[in-house]
Parts: sequence; C-alpha cells; structure tokens
Amino acid sequence: MSETDQSDPLDQSDLPDFCRKPTLVLGCGNILFGDDGFGCAVVDYIEAHYRVPEAVCLLDVGTGVRKLLFTLCLSSARPERLLILDAIDAGRSPGEIFEINPAEIPPVKLDDFSMHQLPTSNLLRELQEICGVEVRVLACQTGPLPEEISQGLSKAVSGAVPQAAEWLVGEYFPSTTAPRGDLCQTTC
Amino acid sequence: MAKTLVIQPVTRVEGHAKVTIQLNDAGNVDTARVNVIELRGFEKFCIGRPVEDLPRITPRICGVCPWSHHLASAKACDAVFGVEPPPAGKKLRELCNSIAYMEEHILHFYFLAGADFLLGPDADYSIRNVIGVLQAAPDIARKVVKVRHMCAHMLEVLAGKAIHPQAAIPGGFSKPLAPADRDQLRKQADEALELAKFSIAFAKENVFPKYLDVVKSLGVITTGFIGTVKEDGALNLYDGKLRLMAPNGTYQDFPYDRYTEFLSEHIEPWSYLKFPYAKQWGEGFSMDVDNPKGVYRANTLARINVCELIDTPLAQAELVEFRAKFGRPAQLTLLYHWARLIELLYNAENTIRLLDDPEITSTETRVKVTPRAARGVGCTEAPRGTLIHDYTTDANGLITNVNLIVGTTHNNAPINMSVTQAAKSLIHDGKYDQGVLNKVEMSIRAYDPCLSCATHRLDGKLSVKLDIFDAEGKLLGSLAN
Repeated sequence: MSETDQSDPLDQSDLPDFCRKPTLVLGCGNILFGDDGFGCAVVDYIEAHYRVPEAVCLLDVGTGVRKLLFTLCLSSARPERLLILDAIDAGRSPGEIFEINPAEIPPVKLDDFSMHQLPTSNLLRELQEICGVEVRVLACQTGPLPEEISQGLSKAVSGAVPQAAEWLVGEYFPSTTAPRGDLCQTTC
Repeated sequence: MAKTLVIQPVTRVEGHAKVTIQLNDAGNVDTARVNVIELRGFEKFCIGRPVEDLPRITPRICGVCPWSHHLASAKACDAVFGVEPPPAGKKLRELCNSIAYMEEHILHFYFLAGADFLLGPDADYSIRNVIGVLQAAPDIARKVVKVRHMCAHMLEVLAGKAIHPQAAIPGGFSKPLAPADRDQLRKQADEALELAKFSIAFAKENVFPKYLDVVKSLGVITTGFIGTVKEDGALNLYDGKLRLMAPNGTYQDFPYDRYTEFLSEHIEPWSYLKFPYAKQWGEGFSMDVDNPKGVYRANTLARINVCELIDTPLAQAELVEFRAKFGRPAQLTLLYHWARLIELLYNAENTIRLLDDPEITSTETRVKVTPRAARGVGCTEAPRGTLIHDYTTDANGLITNVNLIVGTTHNNAPINMSVTQAAKSLIHDGKYDQGVLNKVEMSIRAYDPCLSCATHRLDGKLSVKLDIFDAEGKLLGSLAN
C-alpha cells in the first residue's frame, strides 16, 4: 500500500449508515437472557409504533454493540448524537428507567476494550470526550437475570418499554411523536 | 505462605474469564486455571422450536462471531432437510464468511493483540489500549479503519444485515447478488487485499522479529490440531472435511457428522466449560504441560498446520515460508498471530476469487426444503476455531436435540496449559508485576478466545483485579488496573 493510498479520503458511501446519520440509537442486550433484552425490545417497539426519521439510525445491536462502537471510535465520520438503550442492575426497582452519564462510570475501565466486557463504557467515554459525540445512556433496572437461556422480559421491565420509547421519541425525533397507531387512526 | 493470584476478567479477549494462579509455599506456580463463564441452557431453549428458526436465533448467542453461528446453523439445517444448496447459494455463504473473517482478523491483530505487539507487553496499562495503538501507529490505524469499514459495508450489501445476519437460510441464500453490486464489491475487495499484503509484510518486518524471543518462549506447549480441509487437503474455512492431526504430524480425516467417533469431552469440577479431547488417539485426557494426552488445538495455527496447501497463490507462498521457518506442525503458541495473517491474506484472495466467479450472480440461490425426522451436522471454521452445530428433528421439523461445540471450547485445555506454562516460566519466588501478569494474558489472547456469549455489563466493574489469598483463603491484598 502506497503513501498516496494513506491520504485517500474514505469514500463516505463506504461507511455504514450508523456512521453517517446524525443521530444513532442503539438497543443493546441479549434477548435470550430475560430482562437483558430491554434495549432490543425498545427498538422493536419504536419500529412497530413510530415513524423513524431519515436522519436517525435506529439499530438493535444485541450483544454486538462493542464491535460497532469500536468502529465508530476509529471512524472519520460519526453521528452527532448517540443514545444507548441498555439493561443494568443498579440496585433500583425493576422496570425503573434512568439516565447514566458515561463520564460518571468509574474511570477504572478506561484502559481496556474487550468486545464483550464493559469496555462499552470506555468506548462511550472515548466517543464523548475525544471524538466529540454527544453520548447518552438510557438504562432500565432489571429483575433477576436467568442463569440459563430464557427469552422474554419480566412484567416490570416489559412495562417500561413503551415509557422508554416515548421518552426517546420526545428527545430525539419529537416531530413524529404520534405513535403509528394514532397516525393510522387519523388517516384511515 | 501459599498464595492464590486471581486475574479477573482477562482484558481484551472476547468475553469474561478468571485466571487463578495458585502459588506454593516457595512462591512458585503450583497450578493455573482459566475459568470461563459459559452459555448455559441453549440446548433446552431450542427443544420444540422449528429447526429453520435456528439460523436466525444462533447469531444472537454472540455479537462477536454471529456469521459463524449463522452459517454453521444453516448448514446443519441443510443436512436435516437433506438438501444441497445451489452453487451460487454456497458461494454467497462462503463469500460472507471470508469478508467476516477479514473484519475479525484485522480487529484482532491490530487492536486486540496489536496493543501487546505495537506498544509492548510491558507498556503502561493506561496506554496499552485502542487509543494507544492509534497514537503509536496512526498511518496504520487509518488503513485498518478504512478496510474494516468496507468489510462491514460489503456484508450489508450482500446480506442486508451484518449484525444479526439472516440471509443464509436452509437450502441456500435468500438474496442473489446483483451484477452492479458485485462490481462495487470487487473494487473494495482489491483494497482489502492490499491491506492484507501490507499487514503480513509489516508484521514480518516490524513485529515478529522484535518479539521472537517472546514467541519462542511464552505459552509454548505441544499438542495436536484440528481444522477443515477440502478433499485435496487445501485449507477451507466454510466447507470440507475435518482433519485431526496428532502432535507428531500424522492425521486422520473424517466427515463432520462422525465427530463423536473421534472427539470426546472431559469434565473438570472447577470449570463449567467442557474439555474436548481426541478420543480417537486412545490415550485418555491429561493437561499435564510436560506430558499432555488427547489435547488438540483449534483456530488459526491449527488450520495452517493441518492443511496440505492453500489454493490461493499469495497465501500459499506465505504458508511455504512459514513452514520453512517453523516446521509442520508448528507448536509455538504466539504463532497463532502469524497464522492469522496468512488467513487474512487467504480470505482477501478468496473474496476476489468468489466475486470473479460468474456463478456468484446467479439468481438460483436456494432450494425448497421439507420438514422430516433427521439428524444434521453443520460445521464451519469460525475465526476462533472449528464450530459444530448438531441438530435432530422430529417428523414436523421441530428440534428434539441440539449440541454445539464452539471454537473456544476446543481450545479450553490448551489455553489452560499455555497459561500454566507461561505462569511457571514468569513467576518465581512469589515475585510478579503487571508486565508478568499481562504476559500470562498474552498467552490467552493468542487463541483469540470468545469466552462468553452470554452477558454484557454496563455497571462499572473492574477490568482486571488481582486478589492474593493465603492457603486458608484469607484475602491478603488486592491490585487493580
């Protein structure tokens, strides 16, 4: 590979959508592990009930979030805003949703980047502090997670899904706040 | 006083692991064990489901290697339904596999293991990370970023979804490749090949010579190997037959669906993860570093060892050079990295070969399937090793039995042996420091293990914690990164 190649700008069309769109929303978790699938469920809910604007990339990334964040960290093009939807055990009441500031995640995690382990938080911090992306995390307190594979959210966490979706839409695409069902009722 | 060192979890491997090193009264290593959090209950979860659901479900097991599970599952379904996908269907699957491999191998070499090599194993822990790599070698990082982007984009063009792929289906591939898309991918494949050529040349000139002493000493063990080859013995990562090679280089070939005749699984009370071993050798199982029994390895070095040849010219030339230097089978654990770069080159060449094949744009990519009672075994070479999906269905095509052997599981025993060897050679008289502990971790990272597909956390736990216990289990002190 020549030196000339090194200075070639990356063709923007080569970049995946999640790098190119101004707003990126990622639903994270393992849908095979009970409440851990909260983030994916919110993405499903929004896709089923709302119209997602062109400027927003909404993705169910399952357990693959780290690979994608890694790409974002290294990319020349990034979204302006990133929202992570995730499940967490923070000692609150199951189904409670709350924001986490990536900067407040303990700094001991700054120095590794495994694809599975919390380095999610390192990469989020790097995106926010070094890459200038506005990063927010919306978390939901889980109930007890199953020891073996078990699909489906608990009642408490399932009830939090529409609430999280409504908050997200209000914050990130308020011009389409009306759920699809409502739109359908007015136009059909 | 005897001590136990616990490194938990191992950083920069694909998952969670706990390394426990037991020191004896003299302060030398008595035993070293790698405990892995294993995905449990998957078999039970699958019972009663339509078998055609599994290629869609299994990529959810792991966000790191979804394509391998997706393709192995689709192949197992083919076998259950008793069908053979059309040539274009097979080739599209193999093409996706090669592109996913490039993305994985680039990530591992440059950013997971690369931190050890580009910055040095003794570098301060706070810079031995992705930003550290970028700052140490910005020009290289830019090349790598560009090609990784392209690989992700190529998979989107081919399969629609790269994160949780669904394009491979029982009987073939759901989406034919349009000629215009083929032309676009072909140009990108050329760039990927350039990076692959650069990577191995760069590593041979700048990385491996610098760390040759480490390569020759760290985590070195002697084992057999397993991998997939075509009928003529050529390396193949999507399809073929399994080859089990003994430590002396002799080997036996067998079809996937006879794997239980050649392999068995040992259980240790301290580990959830089983220890596959070569039952066929008839010597039982032992992880004694000096006299192992039945232990074989999977993943890059294994595949490079078991194949007779590589049927793409540039990778074949690298194989010849590699064998001239290290023999066959090569045993040095850190040569996994070298072998990974040969495979990167092979996959880049294979991607071009497949895209140049006129059949790749055929619209006949799938055949119909009909449920039946049957057993089907699908096998691919995942980046981390031989991946076996074994399904049985009833007459309605509903799952009655499932068995998965994932790549990292094949390497469970060798990883434990390599950690033991590394710890014994590096920890003496109770003396250790962060650099020593990272070298123990390096011996694990060489295998590129995917240690847990089950969980992820966002709760601020420590990345690496070293606990020191006395013989009675009392915590004497803790170190953390």
